[in-house]
Amino acid sequence: MTGMMIVMIIVALALIGWIVARARATRLGIEAGRLATNSRPSQHGWYVALWTALPALAFLAVWANVMPSLVLDSVLTSPAAQSLPADDFSRGAILSEAGAIASGAQTAAFNPQSMSLVEPYRAAYGRYSTIGAVLAAILAFACGAYAFSRVRPSFTARNRVERVVMWTLLLASLIAIITTAGIVASLLFESLRFFSMVNPLDFLLGLKWSPQSAAMGYGNEDAFGAVPLFWGTIFIGAIIAMIVAIPLGLMSAIYLTQYAKPRTRKWMKPMLEVLAGVPTVVYGYFAALTVAPALRNLAAGIGIPGASSESALAAGLVMGVMIIPFVSSMADDSIAAVPQSMRDGSLAMGATTSETIRRVLIPAALPGVVGGVLLAVSRAIGETMIVVMAAGLAANMTLNPFASVTTVTTQMVQLLTGDQEFDSAKTLAAFALGLVLFIVTLLLNIVALRVVKKYREAYE
Amino acid sequence: MSEAVLPMSATPVATSRAPTDWNGEAMRRRIALRYAAERRFRLLGLCAVLISAGFLAFLLISMGANGARGFMSTQIKLPVDFPRSPIMIDPAMLSTNPDQVLANANLPQVIESSAQAAFGKDGDDYISSGAVAALRKAIIADPGILTRKVTITVPASAGIDLAAKSDGSEADEAAVVKLEQARALSTGFNGGFLTSSDGTDPTVVGIWGALKGSLLTMAITLALSFPIGVFAALYLEEYAPRNRWTDIIEVSINNLAAVPSIIFGLLGLAIFLNMMHLPRSAPLVGGMTLALMTMPVIVIAGRNAIKAVPPSIRDAALGIGASPIQVVFHHVLPLALPGILTGTIIGMARALGETAPLLMIGMRAFVASPPGGITDPATVLPVQIFLWSDEVGKGFIEKTSAAIIVLLIFLLTMNSIAIYLRNKFEKKW
Amino acid sequence: MADTATTTNKMTARGVNVFYGEKQAIQNVSIDVDLENVTAFIGPSGCGKSTFLRTLNRMNDTVASARVEGRITLDGEDIYGSAMDVVQLRARVGMVFQKPNPFPKSIYENIAYGPRIHGLASGKADLDQIVEKSLRRAGLWEEVKDRLNDSGTALSGGQQQRLCIGRAIAVEPEVILMDEPCSALDPIATAKIEELILELRGNYAIVIVTHNMQQAARVSQRTAFFHLGRLVEQGPTTEIFTNPRKERTKDYITGRYG
Repeated sequence: MTGMMIVMIIVALALIGWIVARARATRLGIEAGRLATNSRPSQHGWYVALWTALPALAFLAVWANVMPSLVLDSVLTSPAAQSLPADDFSRGAILSEAGAIASGAQTAAFNPQSMSLVEPYRAAYGRYSTIGAVLAAILAFACGAYAFSRVRPSFTARNRVERVVMWTLLLASLIAIITTAGIVASLLFESLRFFSMVNPLDFLLGLKWSPQSAAMGYGNEDAFGAVPLFWGTIFIGAIIAMIVAIPLGLMSAIYLTQYAKPRTRKWMKPMLEVLAGVPTVVYGYFAALTVAPALRNLAAGIGIPGASSESALAAGLVMGVMIIPFVSSMADDSIAAVPQSMRDGSLAMGATTSETIRRVLIPAALPGVVGGVLLAVSRAIGETMIVVMAAGLAANMTLNPFASVTTVTTQMVQLLTGDQEFDSAKTLAAFALGLVLFIVTLLLNIVALRVVKKYREAYE
Repeated sequence: MSEAVLPMSATPVATSRAPTDWNGEAMRRRIALRYAAERRFRLLGLCAVLISAGFLAFLLISMGANGARGFMSTQIKLPVDFPRSPIMIDPAMLSTNPDQVLANANLPQVIESSAQAAFGKDGDDYISSGAVAALRKAIIADPGILTRKVTITVPASAGIDLAAKSDGSEADEAAVVKLEQARALSTGFNGGFLTSSDGTDPTVVGIWGALKGSLLTMAITLALSFPIGVFAALYLEEYAPRNRWTDIIEVSINNLAAVPSIIFGLLGLAIFLNMMHLPRSAPLVGGMTLALMTMPVIVIAGRNAIKAVPPSIRDAALGIGASPIQVVFHHVLPLALPGILTGTIIGMARALGETAPLLMIGMRAFVASPPGGITDPATVLPVQIFLWSDEVGKGFIEKTSAAIIVLLIFLLTMNSIAIYLRNKFEKKW
Repeated sequence: MADTATTTNKMTARGVNVFYGEKQAIQNVSIDVDLENVTAFIGPSGCGKSTFLRTLNRMNDTVASARVEGRITLDGEDIYGSAMDVVQLRARVGMVFQKPNPFPKSIYENIAYGPRIHGLASGKADLDQIVEKSLRRAGLWEEVKDRLNDSGTALSGGQQQRLCIGRAIAVEPEVILMDEPCSALDPIATAKIEELILELRGNYAIVIVTHNMQQAARVSQRTAFFHLGRLVEQGPTTEIFTNPRKERTKDYITGRYG
């Protein structure tokens, strides 16, 4: 709570700086005359406020990272620390427990020895917190005073404040790069650790997936063959879901753009968009609770062997429905991008509307539609909840849509939930799967956007 | 133009063909067929729309039918004879420290013996574990009842609840018949569903814990993604120089918008949990992860909204001596704000429904009390739905659907606000 | 005006009004189109000449708010009557647009499109013949005969427009409507199209909308002058250009406004 307090104090100081600097600039500005001032009084205010707050906050951020080691050092020099065991592991356990009790995160000690360290911990913690707070306050005041001393009519406060704003904007946009780099780095780093345990070729080309047996100590050699996962992902996301989504999405788009009356379109289009807004966990629940049992009964009724209550078909069907609005809006955009003159040209030849659509509009819009389908596939194979809830965990390589298959995302969830230590091959495998998923979706997106962009350019 | 109708073949090139006989039998038939194909195609399109709409309707209706029951609970009128019950209580203490006293008052035994006395030896099986809370509330409301025999309305057990609403096991159905004959059954709105948290007994679980977790998570997401997203959009649209760095930023943002959500979960796990050692299962980490996912959506929506502000307004402001920053913050941003807000709401709605990345960072833990702050273990609505959908108890089905209804109401409201904003502020410059 | 109605009239329009929603775009236009002559519609932009042209093959049907009153006949049949089939009508009354709009298909497929949808060819050989003949008539055969499989959009603007004319010819229409067919072309391409129009005259009734008066004078035998949605004057082209009866026509032709 003291951390919160000192931040509040700094913000309050900045506010005071803003008010007094503004007042002073106003007074000086009146004395000097309107044209002699470079900046508005409030800009002087901002200048002082920024000088007050930013250095002090930056210092606090650094201090928060340095303080734990300072506290630890001072605890270790305390007399109670002399009796600590020598080996690093139990030493660390006792120290962290004492720290947790001292900060109130824990109430009772598991290790009696840590109780004796709580007091030194608490004392050192309090001491360094106070030091940090006082230093921050002094820094805020000093910097604020320096900035305040520069307030005069000719001072270019505006330019300086605006430079800070500009840097803030730039930093905000750099977050995107940092995030991308973070994703790539974390996936690559953990995947490399995984591939040091499992041969990448065995992973990419192996036909047997049984991480449980690997975890139980049967060796890694042939437990991490991911091909059944890739097949399941493609089977559900790229085949079954697309068989549902492409015709329905395309035909819906055609009907709504070419045939429907404006009034019909006005309420039908948002309704399709609602389908896209339903959370995937709801689709998953629906697939598992309603669709899958119905399909199993159907399969059993017509005598298809291997029917499972968690089937590729259930997951694929529901995922296809989820993708419909996506395909439909991409198709809509592509068809709308075909120039009206094409349509007129065909109609003027005596073609009916459907002939025009099938023989002119769709062929002309095809690159755009294909790009949209690729984007839809990339979305479908990265979708998680539907397959987790409805597709099952059995790593089958089957063409039977009523059988259970598993997918990359399902296994990622499976591998990373539950109690596991973080550096087993089993948990790291999830990152390797994530890396494959990331690369594939990225490639699909790049190709799709290229196709769509080229196509748009063709009609500009 | 020759009058004779020549056969349709073997006319030498560059001589005039016979005029087409549009009224001939063959051509008439052909045109009829073409119109039939036209009608079929149109019908096909209509079917596609209707199938999609039908699926949506089916989904909503089945959720609604199941979920409506989740908001109702079956209650039993339980006669409790306090003086003869095994209650251990000192009425004098009740006014000073009621919670402590009642916790040790042996209330579960009171329920059990009262139920057995009223409904036979299986009587205590009819009563939910939530009955203790009802009893406690009744005693606090009127300590006077401790001296007499009263009838208290308590929630029925999961089996009875199910049997009373739809179809339960044979024994439970029989019990329901018995209870109905005794006029002890009633149905009421399950207020506890909105105010309590996760549990193991479907009759007493509620979504308040998950809802609070969702609200805290969304608050973090909004606080991080909105300023960052808007600032990034402003920078890219208004100030960014055309160079390689800007290209890299743009490509990153477009790619982030297409990265599967589960990958963000991996990022959160690897960076926030394993590297920065932030608390597991906490709204703080969930919100940060979702913020990274939402930010590109806001940037893209923001850029489109900023792009739609006509350049003439910028020129006008620059022309009277405003600085570039003033132009943007005084003119462009206010005009683009409705569009940015629309995009933000849509992004937030997506984040609110997101499940997969939160599973990765451990927000699937069983959390029986609502989180007190952003670093407490918590769960969120969609994850709660996922967890309940895995429960074996049949009573959880309707609770899951009820939770879905609550989630959908939130999403629908957010989307309606977004559509309203879009329509209200849609400007044609 | 009744004196212009002779037995060779292919299309006649009587008292035609066109509305877009509430707005009236064409007021009470009566005109005849005959086989022997090329008819030119001239007038300042926005005068309704293109709108009127589009009523002749019911292309205005594609605009939801458009409404046509009056009587237009093709060979005596009311084209807005219930007995008239719009698909047939458009096959019989072809149209060439202001901007060349070849389909993004091969040159061959562009020409073959019409015969295919209308079922005019009895086989592949027959279709080949139709394509060759149409391209010859459009004066494009020699230029493209070796690359029939190239995309139609890869041709130059003038070639594209001749391709579009060939495409219209391929279904053996009786009337060809041309909506400022040269406005997007350079002078050389324009000259070729004009030559083509003169060659096609006699086989087809041709109506051409143009804002270029020299062009109207060069290619047409009859001219109609539109202004503000009304037909101001019509008659033999030489007469309109040398001795207009109406003051407004004279002003336009002498370049007072345009």
